[in-house]
Amino acid sequence: MKSLVLKNLSKTYFDPYAGSQVIAIRDVSLTVQPGEFVSIVGPSGCGKTTILNMVAGFLPVSGGEILVDGQPVHGPGPDRGVVFQSFALFPWKTVLENVAFGPKMRGIGKAERERIAREFLDLAGLAHAADRYPNELSGGMQQRVGVVRALANHPDVLLMDEPFASVDAQTRMTLQEELTRIWQERRTTVVFITHDVAEAVFLANRVIVLSKGLVMTEIDVPLEHPRHWDTLMEDERFKSLTALVLQKVRAA
Amino acid sequence: MNPALRLWNLRVWGPYMRATARWPVLRSIVPFLPLLALWWAVANAEIFPRAFFPGPSEVVSSFFTLMYKGILPEYLADSVTRLVVGAAAGVALGIPLGLLVGLSQRAHTALWPILLFFQAIGDIAWLPILLIWFGFGLTTMTFVIVYTVLFPIVLNTVLGVRSIPLDLHRAARSLGASRARVVWEVVLPGAMPNIITGLRNGLGYGWRALIAAEIIVGTSGIGFLMFDARRAGSVVEIMLGMIVLGVLWYIVDAWVLAPIERATGQRWGMVQRQ
Repeated sequence: MKSLVLKNLSKTYFDPYAGSQVIAIRDVSLTVQPGEFVSIVGPSGCGKTTILNMVAGFLPVSGGEILVDGQPVHGPGPDRGVVFQSFALFPWKTVLENVAFGPKMRGIGKAERERIAREFLDLAGLAHAADRYPNELSGGMQQRVGVVRALANHPDVLLMDEPFASVDAQTRMTLQEELTRIWQERRTTVVFITHDVAEAVFLANRVIVLSKGLVMTEIDVPLEHPRHWDTLMEDERFKSLTALVLQKVRAA
Repeated sequence: MNPALRLWNLRVWGPYMRATARWPVLRSIVPFLPLLALWWAVANAEIFPRAFFPGPSEVVSSFFTLMYKGILPEYLADSVTRLVVGAAAGVALGIPLGLLVGLSQRAHTALWPILLFFQAIGDIAWLPILLIWFGFGLTTMTFVIVYTVLFPIVLNTVLGVRSIPLDLHRAARSLGASRARVVWEVVLPGAMPNIITGLRNGLGYGWRALIAAEIIVGTSGIGFLMFDARRAGSVVEIMLGMIVLGVLWYIVDAWVLAPIERATGQRWGMVQRQ
C-alpha cells in the first residue's frame, strides 16, 4: 500500500493539424491515500486518460510532479500496474505466461513465477484457463486475466483505464463486484478511469470529476465494501451519490 | 437441389472428403490427376512430335535414369543447399535489419528509401555486374539468393513490427520489461506472423532466382540440368526439371511453412484460419 501524489500536473502537446499547442491538462493536484480506491470521471476529452498515461510513465509530463510513495516517477515501471481498455494481453503467451510475465521480468525463476501466477488466477476464478491462449477466452475472461496480470506484480498503485468498457453489461457488473472484492482483500491503491458515473461510484472511496483539464469536484463515497449491485441498486445513498456525480459531469 | 449435383455430392465429393480426412496426402495428389490425364492424352495423340512434346511415361523413365546415374540427387542437393544457405543468411541479416527499421524512426527515415530503391533492382538485374565482379561462381549465386530472400523478410518484418499495438509495448514496460526485453518478448513474437509471410515470399522468389542464376552461371543444380538439357535438345529432361521445381516447392510449403504458420499466428488468433 503506497500513496500517489500529483502536484500541479500539466500537459500540453503540439497538434500538427491545428498547428498550435493544445492544453490537455491545465493544473491537477491530487493525493491518493495508501489503499484508497479513487475513480476519475469526466466527459470525453477532459484529460482523464492523459493523466493516467502520465502516471503510468507512458507520456512525459509538461509540468508538475508525480510521486509514488514519495518518489518521483520517471517512465513506466512495475511499481505502477496498468489495466488497459484493450486488455493488452500478449496473444502468443498462454494465460499462465501472461500472468507470470511481471514476475519473469523481475527475475523470478520459472517454477516460482508459475506458482505466483496460479495463485492469482485462482483469485479471479481462472485456474481452468491457465493453459489457453487469450484469443480462446471471452472478453470478460480476458480482462480478468488483465487485472490479475497487473496484480501478480504487486504494484504499489494499480491504474485502470476504462477496463470494463468493452465487455457486455452483465459481465461488466460481475467484474465490478469481483474488483471490489479483490480490492478489499488486497487493499491496493487504485486509480480507476471511467466515463460511467454509476461504475465510478460503485467502485470507489472517492470520485474525482475532471473538466477541461482541471479537477472540478471531489465526492466521497462512504459505502461499505465489498459492494454488490443487488443491494446497492436500490440503496438511497448510492442513488443520490450517483445523481450528484452525474449532475457534476453533465455540468462539466 | 439439382439431382445430378446431389448424385455428385453423394457419390464423389462426399467420399473424396472422407478419404482426404483419412489420408491427407490425397489432397496433394488428386488435383493433379486431371492435369496428368490431359498431358498424357495430348502427348499420345501425337499432335506434336514425340521428342518435342514427350508424355508422362518418358519423363518418369528419365527421372529413374537420372536418379540411377546419381545426377538428379546431386543437382537437387546442390540447389537445395544453395537455397538453405542463402535463406539462412537472408534471415540472419533481414530480421535484425527489419527490427531496427521498424523500431527506430530515425533508422526508418534514413534507410526506407534505400530499401525501396534496391528492392526494385530485381535479383536477375544484378547478374551482369556480378558476373564481371565475381565471375561464374558460387559467390555470384549466393549474392543473388541472399539479395532476393533479404528484401521480403526486411519489408515484412518492418510491417510486422509497426503493426504491434502500442498497448502491448506499454503493458510490457509497465510490468517491468526493459526496452531490450520488450524486443525479445513483444516485438519479435508480435511480428512473427509477418516475418513468416516474408520468409514464405523470400523463399519463393529465392527459389526462382536460384534457378535463373543456375541457368546463367551454373555448373550444377536443377537450373543447370535444364539448361544443359536444352543444349542436348532433351525436352524430357527440361520437363523433368520443371516438375521437380514445382514438387519441391510444394513440399517446402506444405511440410515446412504451413505447419509453422499453424503453430504461430493462427494458434494465437493473430491471423485468420482459412
